[in-house]
Amino acid sequence: MAGINKVAVIGAGVMGAGIAAHVANAGIPVVLLDIVPKDGANRDAIAEGAVARMLKADPAPFMSKAAARLVTTGNTEDHLDLLAECDWIVEAVIERLDIKQALYARIDAVRKKGSVVSSNTSTIPLENLVAGLPDSFAADFCITHFFNPPRYMRLLEVVGGAKTRADALEVVSDFADRSLGKSVVRCKDRPGFIANRLGVYWLQAAVVEAIDAGLAIEDADSIIGKPMGIPKTGIFGLIDLVGLDLMPHVIGSMSQSLPANDPFHAITRPAPVVERMIAEGFTGRKGKGGFYRVNREKNKAKEAIDLGSGEYRAQRRADVPAIKAAGRSLTKLFDHDSAHGRYAWAVMGRTLAYACALVGDAADQVESIDEAMRLGYNWKFGPFELIDQVGTDWFAAKLAASGWAVPEILKIAAGKTFYRVDNGTRQVLGQDGQYHDMVRPDGVIMLADIKLKSQPVLKNGSAALWDIGDGVACFEFTSKMNALDPDIMDLLGKSIRRVKKDFKALVIYNEGSNFSVGANLGLALFAANIAAWTEIEAMVANGQATYRALKYAPFPVVAAPSGMALGGGCEILLHADAIQAHAETYAGLVEVGVGLIPGWGGCKEMLARWQSLGKLPKGPMPAIGKVFEMISTAQVAKSAAEAQEALILRPGDGVTMNRYRLLADAKAKALSLVDGYQPPAEPSFVLPGATAKVALDMAVAGFQRMGKATPHDGVVSGALAGIVSGGDTDVTETLDEDALLDLERQAFMSLVRHPDTLARVEHMLMTGKPLRN
Amino acid sequence: MASYKAPLRDMRFVLYELMGGDELSQLPGYEEFTRDLIDPVLEEAAKVCEQVLHPLNRSGDEEGCTLENGVVRTPKGFVEAYKTFREGGWTSIACDPAYGGQGLPKAVNTLVEEMICSANLSFGMYPGLTHGAYVSLHGFGSDSLKDAYLPKMVDGTWSGTMCLTEPHCGTDLGLLRTKAVPQGDGSYKITGTKIFISAGEHDLTENIVHLVLARLPDAPAGVKGISLFLVPKFLPDSAGNPGERNGVSCGAIEHKMGIKASATCVMNFDDATGWLIGSAHKGMQAMFAMMNTERLSVGIQGLGLAEASYQGSVAYARERLQGRSLSGVKHPDKPADPIIVHPDVRRMLLTQRAYVEGCRALGAWAAKSLDVKNHHPDARVRQDADDFVQLITPVIKALMTDLGFESTNLGMQVLGGHGFIREHGMEQYVRDCRISQIYEGTNGIQALDLVGRKMPAHAGRLLRSFFHPVQAYIEAHMEDAVMGEFVQPLAKAFVRLQQATGQIARTGMAKPDEAGAAASDYLRLFGLTALAYLWARMAQQSLDQVDGEDGAFYRAKIGTARFYMERLLPQTGALFSAIMAGGKSMMDFAEDAF
Ligand SMILES: Cc1cc2nc3c(=O)[nH]c(=O)nc-3n(C[C@H](O)[C@H](O)[C@H](O)COP(=O)(O)OP(=O)(O)OC[C@H]3O[C@@H](n4cnc5c(N)ncnc54)[C@H](O)[C@@H]3O)c2cc1C
Repeated sequence: MAGINKVAVIGAGVMGAGIAAHVANAGIPVVLLDIVPKDGANRDAIAEGAVARMLKADPAPFMSKAAARLVTTGNTEDHLDLLAECDWIVEAVIERLDIKQALYARIDAVRKKGSVVSSNTSTIPLENLVAGLPDSFAADFCITHFFNPPRYMRLLEVVGGAKTRADALEVVSDFADRSLGKSVVRCKDRPGFIANRLGVYWLQAAVVEAIDAGLAIEDADSIIGKPMGIPKTGIFGLIDLVGLDLMPHVIGSMSQSLPANDPFHAITRPAPVVERMIAEGFTGRKGKGGFYRVNREKNKAKEAIDLGSGEYRAQRRADVPAIKAAGRSLTKLFDHDSAHGRYAWAVMGRTLAYACALVGDAADQVESIDEAMRLGYNWKFGPFELIDQVGTDWFAAKLAASGWAVPEILKIAAGKTFYRVDNGTRQVLGQDGQYHDMVRPDGVIMLADIKLKSQPVLKNGSAALWDIGDGVACFEFTSKMNALDPDIMDLLGKSIRRVKKDFKALVIYNEGSNFSVGANLGLALFAANIAAWTEIEAMVANGQATYRALKYAPFPVVAAPSGMALGGGCEILLHADAIQAHAETYAGLVEVGVGLIPGWGGCKEMLARWQSLGKLPKGPMPAIGKVFEMISTAQVAKSAAEAQEALILRPGDGVTMNRYRLLADAKAKALSLVDGYQPPAEPSFVLPGATAKVALDMAVAGFQRMGKATPHDGVVSGALAGIVSGGDTDVTETLDEDALLDLERQAFMSLVRHPDTLARVEHMLMTGKPLRN
Repeated sequence: MASYKAPLRDMRFVLYELMGGDELSQLPGYEEFTRDLIDPVLEEAAKVCEQVLHPLNRSGDEEGCTLENGVVRTPKGFVEAYKTFREGGWTSIACDPAYGGQGLPKAVNTLVEEMICSANLSFGMYPGLTHGAYVSLHGFGSDSLKDAYLPKMVDGTWSGTMCLTEPHCGTDLGLLRTKAVPQGDGSYKITGTKIFISAGEHDLTENIVHLVLARLPDAPAGVKGISLFLVPKFLPDSAGNPGERNGVSCGAIEHKMGIKASATCVMNFDDATGWLIGSAHKGMQAMFAMMNTERLSVGIQGLGLAEASYQGSVAYARERLQGRSLSGVKHPDKPADPIIVHPDVRRMLLTQRAYVEGCRALGAWAAKSLDVKNHHPDARVRQDADDFVQLITPVIKALMTDLGFESTNLGMQVLGGHGFIREHGMEQYVRDCRISQIYEGTNGIQALDLVGRKMPAHAGRLLRSFFHPVQAYIEAHMEDAVMGEFVQPLAKAFVRLQQATGQIARTGMAKPDEAGAAASDYLRLFGLTALAYLWARMAQQSLDQVDGEDGAFYRAKIGTARFYMERLLPQTGALFSAIMAGGKSMMDFAEDAF
């Protein structure tokens, strides 16, 4: 069967619209329909409005403005015939069975044969959805449950019914995986599937236990948070985000549909405080405030709800001695003899036990449950990984001591761990009590797996070089936050020599949450504070030389970023032969934010790209202006698509939607470049010199007059203008790369001595925010 | 018998020529402090120190303090001397005019402090402690406390103490046990034992104001649970005069190596009434404010004693006839040449001199920075000055007391066996100086403060206040033909300091023991480099004046600068090697092998 080339989404609410946007992000045309509004002339107003809102939203549902043009909007009365062209039809309308079923009948009348229809329902069983519909429909029908926001949340729960065709599930799953970049978790047709069933249980348990124990919500959030690798929003912060009013809905529908013996019912007792808040409109961030709020009447004071009185009071810092006492040990935290320790256990002991109870019910594999919680709730560790941390036997014993049932899977796991590494292969315990290899989907290569199986080719404290097979090496940053430091430069230099000797190609890639946010500013600032100018200049020169060597190495180099690639982390991309970027790549030359300019060839490479590839009017000035604007305003491309527009990615560079597939794609790209590889030709530059600098300086002076640029912006921009205009040159001269690198280095050295630059760097390090001086 | 002449010429050089003392009067609030006003102050101070305090130095040492029935008596003459001192307004020179002080710039006051320490350190302890208490109370006390106590402390009728140390807790104040119980009326009852309390009890003033660190009943453990209290010996009556006796008494006084005329007391607090200074549990904050100025003052103690010792050793070296010069007889009319002709004696004298004059300049730099920090109109300049003061405070405290001790020891050596005999007064300087390396945070703790706190603060920003001006100075004068002989050694030491700083920053993060192992050597390296910078500047200041009226003074400056660069600064090479070797040899050594 052919793949999915066109998609329809019906229902342009937050979820439907977000799903449509993300399909468009994958470059697939999508039809977005909603009902005809009761009043108003525009019959497509709802879908159109949704697209318009999304274009302004932050974080942006679209990866580029161009993607938005792939969305065709319409209404379900006039445009249902558009579904005839679609291979996949996603229903995301209101959670009412009658409405959904009526819609399905109409869809079935127009859809093309063999197209797949899926529902984004979070609460209605598939069984009920297809009840009464023809078998031919049921065979093409499944549930695809996205998480909000669809662009950013990587989890997709897929549920097939008894009648669903296996290949229908396969086609949708494959499309979701490769094109939408989702991690597909197959679930059984059980209420709430995996993530919400466990997640909502967890949230509700945490709320009622906190009320019973009379805890401050700040304390509760700090306990059910960082110590277990749960995002710092904790419980109450997270409920504020999703909306307090949503909880009773989901809980209500789940308690209705779950059997009487399900442990879920134990935590569904009413919480009058919360009910009152919802009734009064305190429904969270979207409402008048939630468990936390910023009180505008009181000078934007931060406040929190007192669970006892239901009144707001000043927010305070969490004060939980148990966390400190426990150190990194979860068992010590769960055993801590204090209200806080007992709370940690009451919530997490129950939740982890419930996760165990879901094995065989919501999903057959523990790793599915772990993946669902990691990607659906951003837990750093899934529930079974957490149980491994405390030990299965310890956990079972503590459950028993608390008078709670010990779930079946724990008995199977007695004396074992859920996960283990056997001969370099990750294995997981099955319901059969046996360990099974964890197999990655076809075409997925993970560096983490390679690291389990092999030793690095080269390694130091900040980087490593790995053999990823087929003659390809992978250079990995391992420093804190992947910050670039002299050790990385050193190992990169060594790696270039090694790859030349022993490999065919090099991939620069890592599995950190960010590719690299740039140079280690702390080191640089420290060196500047002790006036170690020669050392700093050597750091700059060394980076330039190393990146240059990378660019002209006699083998292909592919950089494969994901997450942030900023400053020096962006410059390394610019020196690769090709880039294979994860779609969620945020790249830019942001050095001016700390009062500096790109000094490792970033100015030069951007200039070369815009000179040769920019679709710009003739003459040197347009390219100079463009590069100057990008760098002087620290523009960051907020997706790989935007990076293409910024020419950080060139035509021919690739984009990978699924994070897990990035390394494989990068490796393939590198291998494709091996045959007949020639290093790039050195660019040359004909630049106007002083005349261009004057023009750029005037533009900056204009911004300063308008109050859009600060005094130090003027200094930094001036230094940048000196580089991109070519310094002391004119159009009769041709400059080579070294001339531009010299200009970068000199400008960098003059800025790094400037007290206002040092103040910016210090501020960034201390607060994480730029200083506008 | 040692005699003392205040080194006014050199003080003026440092204040006006090196530090641009005239700039002081350009700071808002300091308009009146021009040379016409400062010079007479220094001259008057010199008189009091030379004529009133110094004559009591040795007798005070011989006699010491006595405790009888809970009453401490200072040595003969101290009560009268204190009266003269107080009536001369010397207790109030550095204090806030709002409380009757004279508001003298710190740069001037520091010179006066030096004279007092040279003349009679034990005596200086009494007003010195009062000033420490004054700083805490002034900075953190409530208005009513300040109004009730500060005027009397400023005019010297009441004195002050700082009560931190307890039998089981010196460096580690987190172990402190003294208790404070709130009485509901804003007062507290303080109970506990403090030891080593300087000026805890004496007969110089009608009342004594103790500032006491103690714990409130709900206090968290450790240093975050310490509060500061004011506990007077006599509770003021309604007219503000000393009234009812408070529950505080002196249980014993210590018998000790030096500063014998300064009473070091065991103080018992027994339900003594006190009042909170600053916020509950924030006592360390108030204490640190005081400590920063006190540490500077303790550094000045080392300097003052070294100066006094230098005067004694030079005088003796000119007079004492022993042996003949190695290069031929210099004084054929005498039975032997004076020992000042001998290279080794000159080594000792010049070492003393180079340290003394270098430290005086360093103290003045810090003091002036304090003035700038407190008075400069530009916030950025104020911050830079404050950064420098914070950075250099531990260096000053440890370097100047360590060099003070080395210098006083050399001074004693110059006198040979006579240096060891009490009559000459030279061994007293050694003994008196020794405590300055210990109290107010031992010098080891100063070094840890430098590498552990000051260095990493704000990603190294404090360092900038020192490294940038020095680097700029080197760059500006490196190629200068005349200055080269001073700037090149400075540059060499400076690069060592930079590299050592980088090394400690790198290794110290991952392995704190490495930073701890390097700390003392690093502080010395830092201090010697700072002195080198000042010596280069002093030489530069002197170069074009060698043929003038006061040529001899400037020629001696240049000569001392040369000696410092050639003979003392090379120590930085050894320190650098030791630092780079790391701490493994110490930390690998088995504990039971000691
Ligand atoms: C004459 C005199 C007057 C004094 N006046 C006063 C006063 O007025 N008020 C007052 O409160 N106190 C006063 N003191 C006390 C003085 O401040 C302390 O003695 C000093 O702080 C050291 O404390 P300690 O004696 O308990 O030594 P300890 O703290 O026991 O230290 C012993 C040694 O261990 C080292 N050491 C300790 N901790 C560390 C560490 N973490 N890292 C590395 N090395 C460490 C020290 O440097 C020292 O070498 C006075 C003491 C004397 C002798």
